[in-house]
Amino acid sequence: MLYGLFLIVPVFVALYLSLTAWAGFGSPIWVGLRNYQDLIGDAVFFSSVMNTVLYVLISVFVVVPAALLLATALNARGLRGRDLFRLVYFTPVVLSPIVITLVFSLFFDREFGVLNAVLRATFGFGGVDWLGDPWWARVVVAFLIVWRWTGYLTIFFLAGLQNIPRELYEAASLDGAGPVRQFCNVTLPMLRPVTAFVAVTVMVGSAQIFDEPYLLTRGGPGDATISVAMFIYREAFMRQQLGYAAAAGVLMFVGVFAIGRLANAVLGIGRDR
Amino acid sequence: MLYLSLIVLVLVFVLPLVWAAASSFKLRGDIFAYPPKLFPEHPTLHNYQTLLAEQPFWGWFAMSTVVALISTAVSVFVCSLAGFGFAKYRFKGKNFLFNVMFSSLAIPFAVIVVPLFIMLVRTGLNSPYFALIVPWVAPAFGIFMMRQFTEQSIPDELLESGRVDGCGEFMIFWTIVLPLLRPALGALAVWSFINSYNAFLWPLIIVGEPSQYTLPLGLGALFATENRQYDLVLAGSVLAAIPSLLLFIGLRKQLIDGLTAGAVKS
Repeated sequence: MLYGLFLIVPVFVALYLSLTAWAGFGSPIWVGLRNYQDLIGDAVFFSSVMNTVLYVLISVFVVVPAALLLATALNARGLRGRDLFRLVYFTPVVLSPIVITLVFSLFFDREFGVLNAVLRATFGFGGVDWLGDPWWARVVVAFLIVWRWTGYLTIFFLAGLQNIPRELYEAASLDGAGPVRQFCNVTLPMLRPVTAFVAVTVMVGSAQIFDEPYLLTRGGPGDATISVAMFIYREAFMRQQLGYAAAAGVLMFVGVFAIGRLANAVLGIGRDR
Repeated sequence: MLYLSLIVLVLVFVLPLVWAAASSFKLRGDIFAYPPKLFPEHPTLHNYQTLLAEQPFWGWFAMSTVVALISTAVSVFVCSLAGFGFAKYRFKGKNFLFNVMFSSLAIPFAVIVVPLFIMLVRTGLNSPYFALIVPWVAPAFGIFMMRQFTEQSIPDELLESGRVDGCGEFMIFWTIVLPLLRPALGALAVWSFINSYNAFLWPLIIVGEPSQYTLPLGLGALFATENRQYDLVLAGSVLAAIPSLLLFIGLRKQLIDGLTAGAVKS
């Protein structure tokens, strides 16, 4: 029941705190729904939500299809070195996000970065301020999400693909279905449970992204890359607005819960149990 | 064509890591030499020597490793026990408990971070040694994974025969269930070691003293200083990546099988 103590109880404590103003000492002051009203008008919170939504959308619409594609390629009959490919694609998840982020921030550094140097050497230009430009900074964070998750999720699709009985494909090709029809009518339906799992995993994962924006850009330039998790951290532990941060947490919970429900409805998790 | 694209992707995944590892053997000026070179012309251990001499790297390393080992050991035990309970016993409120546990998979850590911090501070349990370990001893994912494995791989008859032989329930768990779960335990162990070893947000909140930094905190601090110490950060990253990479390479089959089993067959 330790488990409840460290997961369930905090959710209720968060609900209570979100209705108070508290700097971490003394007693919390009851303020009702004021934190929520303030959050709605808070431009930084708004951009943290929009950024997080962007990160989630990218993970669903880029990472999931890319992982499926990669898994299909790896599942090709007679492919050699499959285990080696699997190993390599899996590696980013094993490494600490810190290590990855630090390495990539050297890559994308404006003055010294390898990327700009390579661009300069091959195309003759390379002055892009990857991390200092709001738009590019978001692209870099998104790229890190794709880089970190794609290979990991590929593994699940691959396992799912290998579980599909060959007879189904043989039957389909007897019926005259080409590779594309086979993919749509056999592979996709058979993969639905795995797809649901993968989609929820990556959505919940990227909804709480913290390390990448924090280390790459401190949420900047301005607040261009700040995520909700980073917003909560900043309000709670740098500005001592614990009640306000808790309210942001409650809203995040509601958001993630809604996403989960939506995924449920669309992908039908558990429908065919 | 297929091989070509797979290999291009391998390069995308591996090149940054190879570049980082190779650069850790370059002197500071050469890391950003123009035009960029992948491998050092004059390999040197200077970065490693400076890192180990000037920074409490081994302290960070020890902190991370010890914390990760303890939380792994405890969570593997707790999760397999809880998973066994969920899989093989009928008790009042079981479905309710299981649903609560299962839905909590979707609770983002950022949601509970503030209350968790306050609870630990208020109860005086916010010492890093305690706080870095205890919240992670019963991860919902681990319990779920263990339940799946217990259901799939341990027949009820085996438990019955244990009872007939007069084993207590805990003895049955310890002598019959645990050995059969060994592959799953390996997967869970790697998973939880890597999670704990790589954690950043929670240690950032709970650890104040630089002497108690974990590796991610130490590396983050090196990077955050005024003149970013790229050279030392690279050397530190390479050293920091070694344990989880070794563990992963050694137990990759178990890890991948274990992780995918729960997802594919649920």
